[in-house]
Amino acid sequence: MTRILVRKQLAEIFRTYFYDAKKNKARSKGAVIAYFILFAFIMVGLLGGMFTFVSILLRGTITSGYGWFYYLMLALVAICLGAFGSVFNTFSGLYLSRDNDLLLSMPIPVRSIMASRLLTVFLMGLMYSGCVSIPAVIVYLATAGFSLGALLGAVMFVALIAVFVLVLSCLLGYGVARLSLKLKNKSFMTVIFALLFIAIYYFAYFKAGSFVSEIVANIALYGESLHAAAPLVFGIGRAFEGELLPLLLVTLAVAALLALTWYILSRSFLKIATATGKTDRKVYRESRAKKKSVFAAMLGKEFGRFTGSANYMLNCGLSTLLLPIAGILLLVRGGAVADVLSDIFGSGGSVPVLLTAAVCLVCSMNDMAVPSVSLEGKSLWISRSLPVDAWTALRAKCGMQLLLTVPGAVFAALCSAIVTRSDLLTGLLMVVFCAVFASFSAYLALYIGLHNVNLVWTNEISVIKQGVQVLTALLAGWLLPVLFVLPYMLLLNGDFSPTAYLALASLLFAAAALVFRRWLRTKGVTRFESL
Amino acid sequence: MLKIEHLTKAFGDKLAVDDLTLHIAPGEIYGFIGHNGAGKTTTLRSVAGIQQFDKGEIRIAGHSVRTEPLECKRALAYIPDNPDLYDFMSGIKYLNFIADIFGVGADERAERIRRWAGEFELTDDLAQPIAAYSHGMKQKLAIISAWLHEPKLILMDEPFVGLDPKAAHILKGMMREHCGSGGAIFFSTHVLEVAEKLCDKVAIIRRGRLVRSGTMEEVRGDDSLEEVFLELEEDAK
Repeated sequence: MTRILVRKQLAEIFRTYFYDAKKNKARSKGAVIAYFILFAFIMVGLLGGMFTFVSILLRGTITSGYGWFYYLMLALVAICLGAFGSVFNTFSGLYLSRDNDLLLSMPIPVRSIMASRLLTVFLMGLMYSGCVSIPAVIVYLATAGFSLGALLGAVMFVALIAVFVLVLSCLLGYGVARLSLKLKNKSFMTVIFALLFIAIYYFAYFKAGSFVSEIVANIALYGESLHAAAPLVFGIGRAFEGELLPLLLVTLAVAALLALTWYILSRSFLKIATATGKTDRKVYRESRAKKKSVFAAMLGKEFGRFTGSANYMLNCGLSTLLLPIAGILLLVRGGAVADVLSDIFGSGGSVPVLLTAAVCLVCSMNDMAVPSVSLEGKSLWISRSLPVDAWTALRAKCGMQLLLTVPGAVFAALCSAIVTRSDLLTGLLMVVFCAVFASFSAYLALYIGLHNVNLVWTNEISVIKQGVQVLTALLAGWLLPVLFVLPYMLLLNGDFSPTAYLALASLLFAAAALVFRRWLRTKGVTRFESL
Repeated sequence: MLKIEHLTKAFGDKLAVDDLTLHIAPGEIYGFIGHNGAGKTTTLRSVAGIQQFDKGEIRIAGHSVRTEPLECKRALAYIPDNPDLYDFMSGIKYLNFIADIFGVGADERAERIRRWAGEFELTDDLAQPIAAYSHGMKQKLAIISAWLHEPKLILMDEPFVGLDPKAAHILKGMMREHCGSGGAIFFSTHVLEVAEKLCDKVAIIRRGRLVRSGTMEEVRGDDSLEEVFLELEEDAK
């Protein structure tokens, strides 16, 4: 029974590999195989390869006699990766599973349901932590030499880390489940957590090299300090090197933790499984609503959709946050950046043009107008049956992108002008060009969005993140700032002042923006009305 | 109030509505009956201006749906068979959005929301996101939004599906009150008993063609509406 349930759980986790949400049908055998090959490549090739490299960098600790320290560090990395990778599966699979009612209504022992859930969490944890722990033990055995004790320690390292990840995931998953029921602004909190994670990831990624070098260079100092301060931790490290008594104690400790988790869960599983999962109820208090114009109402609707979806905000609106950050960073560190650019490209007019292009590149990460038409989906009937002309509906979609991009673009451009110590006219033109570019991007995004409209999606992510429209918008977003900067850098630098170039480019992009606006107002309206 | 003249709409080779003519006067509750796929929804969507049609003319309060769509839409409200509302809004935000589009003043909307949400016992749920609503709650919200701007004509596609008996009773009362004050209602239904008790006039459509229409007495004679409907189905075989 447990085996059947585990298979069902795994099929649910890997559902996207078998089922195409966009087309609402099963994938072909070839596509399924291709997806699994890609998955294996990412897990074994990319993640596994990356951590093999990290393990090799840490080999110095093993040869210096601090193998226990090596194991401790990689255990920490494996636990972090494993817990992070499987915590959300635990959250949805164990605590908020949608098929709990169905399974509980069948003649299946509750213990089997719980065991299958936990076994799936264990397998997911093993998959993620294994990306670190398996390369770690291979590098260890290859460096320290093969012995029965070392092999036993290595096998137990992989297994015990995965079990520990299971315990930790259950704890964290419970926390996430409780939090998700309490959170009022779930979309915003998801965006904040995602951005925090990205920031931590990149911080760790950029610091990892120097951190590893520092550890390897001063392994004796760090090793002895840790040994003296935390003998228990030293014991854990020694256990994985194959020392039998510590290994037995660590195994017993992890087994005790697992037993405790099982005990606590088995006492509360029915309560968890039958919880409705409803969020805290908001109490309605009547208040006087302010009357809005039709355009303001349509714009408000677009903003409501944007702020109501973490996926939409993260995938189509990052520039709203990044542009002010880029501006502040430019003010703080921009002098050094400008000096480096001057050294590379010469002190002519290239630096203001390059920084303007950089601001435009960040701008182009905002493309919320692209999926805005498709996102109407099954509720398109509302705007079609209301007395709202199609142009107002389309204007609201563009308006949202303009309002979320232009202020940030102007601020970042202003900071660029200050950093490059440009004269008033050049600075003004840098700002004007960025504002014109952001406007052009909004009209272009909606133009792209009105082609290949998909109103029959089952998951919004398929129109927000996937599809030809999004790919086209992304490519255009990268290509256009390059097209802006290349003629100046390759042909005109030195012969043409940046002021004149920015003025000319502003005129060209403004004209192009007007062309797209005209198309939207005529053919775009017809296309929208015929959806 | 509503004049449908020779309405024709095809999807590819299939004629969904074939030369349909119907007139609905102010104060009338007009029932639209037909089997699944008969063309009821296509007709209602064409009248609501959601879907373009191939031939014919539709006029609402004297305005042409084809040439003056906004004037027509200002005079009507439409409730589809499956109210897919904006899931990302709360109930109250949705109602305020509709009120803004129709230019309903702050005091009038507050009074109407208070009244209708109270009647449907939806007041406590208005701050909840629509995503958390059941089908019946969405249906109630769609009904309140339709009544919010006091339209002249209300179009409803299977309005009683998903409503509990009390809500269905309230809706019937609202329909009578609306028509009593000079409005008109055109709705489709499969529940023939409801049509029989509620409608002033009824139209039966089969494979896109109008097969019978008129006052309830004219259509059913001495039989029940169910008997007439089944008889017409048999004749068509």
